[in-house]
Amino acid sequence: MIQFLAKRLLQIIPAFIGVTLLTFSLVHLIPGDPVELRAGERGIDPKRHAEMKAAMGLDKPLPVQYFDYITGVFKGDLGKSFVTKKPVLKEFLTLFPATMELSFCAIIFAIIFGLPAGVIAGVKRGTIFDHSVMGISLTGYSMPIFWWGLLLILFFSVQLGWTPVSGRLSALFWIDADTGFMLIDTLRSNEPGAFKSALSHLILPSIVLGTIPLAVIARMTRSSMLEVLQEDYVRTARAKGVSPSRVVMVHALRNALIPVITVIGLQIGVLLAGAILTETIFAWPGIGKWIVEAINRRDYPVVQGGILMISSLVIFVNLIVDILYGIVNPRIRHTA
Amino acid sequence: MTKLLEIENLSVEFDGFKAVDGVNLSVDEGKVVGIVGESGSGKSVTQLALMGLIPYPGIIKADRLMFHNSDLMALSAKKRRSITGKDVSMIFQEPMTSLNPCFTVEYQISEALKIHEGGTRQERRKRVIELLSQVGIPAPEDRLGTFPHQLSGGMSQRVMIAMAIACSPRLLIADEPTTALDVTIQAQILELIMDLQQKKNMALVLITHDMAVIAETVEDVVVMYAGQVVEKNSSDRIFTNPCHPYTEALLNALPERNINSKRLPTIPGLVPGKFDRPDGCLFHPRCKHAKKMCKEVVPKYSEKNSIGVRCHFPLINGVPQYD
Ligand SMILES: Nc1ncnc2c1ncn2[C@@H]1O[C@H](COP(=O)(O)OP(=O)(O)OP(=O)(O)O)[C@@H](O)[C@H]1O
Ligand SMILES: [Mg+2]
Repeated sequence: MIQFLAKRLLQIIPAFIGVTLLTFSLVHLIPGDPVELRAGERGIDPKRHAEMKAAMGLDKPLPVQYFDYITGVFKGDLGKSFVTKKPVLKEFLTLFPATMELSFCAIIFAIIFGLPAGVIAGVKRGTIFDHSVMGISLTGYSMPIFWWGLLLILFFSVQLGWTPVSGRLSALFWIDADTGFMLIDTLRSNEPGAFKSALSHLILPSIVLGTIPLAVIARMTRSSMLEVLQEDYVRTARAKGVSPSRVVMVHALRNALIPVITVIGLQIGVLLAGAILTETIFAWPGIGKWIVEAINRRDYPVVQGGILMISSLVIFVNLIVDILYGIVNPRIRHTA
Repeated sequence: MTKLLEIENLSVEFDGFKAVDGVNLSVDEGKVVGIVGESGSGKSVTQLALMGLIPYPGIIKADRLMFHNSDLMALSAKKRRSITGKDVSMIFQEPMTSLNPCFTVEYQISEALKIHEGGTRQERRKRVIELLSQVGIPAPEDRLGTFPHQLSGGMSQRVMIAMAIACSPRLLIADEPTTALDVTIQAQILELIMDLQQKKNMALVLITHDMAVIAETVEDVVVMYAGQVVEKNSSDRIFTNPCHPYTEALLNALPERNINSKRLPTIPGLVPGKFDRPDGCLFHPRCKHAKKMCKEVVPKYSEKNSIGVRCHFPLINGVPQYD
């Protein structure tokens, strides 16, 4: 297992280098000159231009620039926002818990409903339940996030008034952002009703963001289950006199989960992309909304740093998924 | 001699196709019965029906399905499971895919013990080690945490056997237990099964393609063709004096009976499938003794002097008895 872990850790190095190369070249692919971009409309005299270029390190050869960039990244220096003049990393870290909280709730929602639905649909293949699960998940999968979000807001927030329209917390409360996770902060604040408010703000965005992963997980679980249920070892388990529920929950599910875990891992990447839209719809103050705004304002250090952080995050999540995969699947663990 | 298993008129249908058609089979306590027949003749399906393992669209019908004084058809699913894996157990043709890749050898063997006998974890572990050494696995203590992908085919089949005999069954069904293995391992596994059968005095149903195995190990032989039992005979008599033309043809096709000829004789034609089941006797299109009656009338299975045959004109000393 240790060998397996070490190998997986080594494998993320090239992925990380790839990501930094990509974000590094982002600045160089942007049309126009970063110095002129900063100088704005007024223009700049050539001497000052050269000075600024040197100050930004842009006069050095590309490999050196890349090396400087990497060293900066490892020191936690992602540059400063053009707009707020604050360090990008700091802004990221302030906003990240909001995105993480939303994504976490979304994936939990997707797993809690998607996994059992897929298992039951697989076991009860061809029944009305199976057809409904497949139909609904296909619809969910093809639903545009923007439209789906607005639909839910119109119905639950506007018509029924059950959930708030946007934001993370009712304006009635003022909570110190200790952890940045609203659910935790409100719980610790002892402010009556604050936790409930935070939770009600999370429900719709989580559903919207979790819909596609839910559909994918349900379909994948079902097909994986169907395949596993006709394996010889399932017959062997039945031949031992194992009860049908145990055959499904232990012998089949354990094997069926192997591809599903991979899919869940891949969905986390999809989730971060989806978060950009979802956060915009619900005015959710997270990374997605931050990057969208930065793109609009041409705040390149923020875009660059944000993409680097999100990509690293996806690499990290994939590492976790790989490890989980190794735990569930002994064949991987031993052959790695 | 007490009858352990009595199957009468068992049929299994998949979407209107009779994979097993009116099969009779009985096994006495502690006896060995061999089943032979071409691929697709319904050997496995018959035994899976007995185990209650027929997959989804399959429909099972039987006049009697008696095992050790209980009528399996009348039992509740739960009662039935308490027999399956305990009093009757089965080993399969494909050892490599028959073990669950996610669980250790110990887990999979002790699961059978846990379900049927209970006991503490320590007791079960001790029993698993005992079973592993009984099936000839060296250093069984070190094998407990092994996963199936770390085992060879022969080793997997030994583990399957250990699992099958864990609760000391009265009847063991071995469905071509050596077909998927290397020739060198085949003899060892077969020897192990026969050895365990003797020691534990279990009844054994051995499904095989190998006539030589039948001749050496089995007391009674059942020959199946297209889902039906066409002959039941003792293995002494069946080689010298087969009653059904199909058995005769099968024996004539054996390599050891054709040492001097350049080509092996084959049985012309094919086993009928779903869409080309003939009227009358299912074997008549391929039978060299067939008469008009064989094309029209379905022969009944009849047993006399413990020889069973499904033929209008059974052979005596190789001569059909037209009268
Ligand atoms: N699950 C199933 N669905 C439909 N048909 C099936 C199913 N299982 C078996 N059959 C059919 O039943 C017939 C008998 O199959 P069976 O497996 O009993 O043959 P067999 O005598 O064991 O052959 P082999 O020597 O190849 O193992 C075959 O024609 C097969 O196609
Ligand atoms: Mg078979």
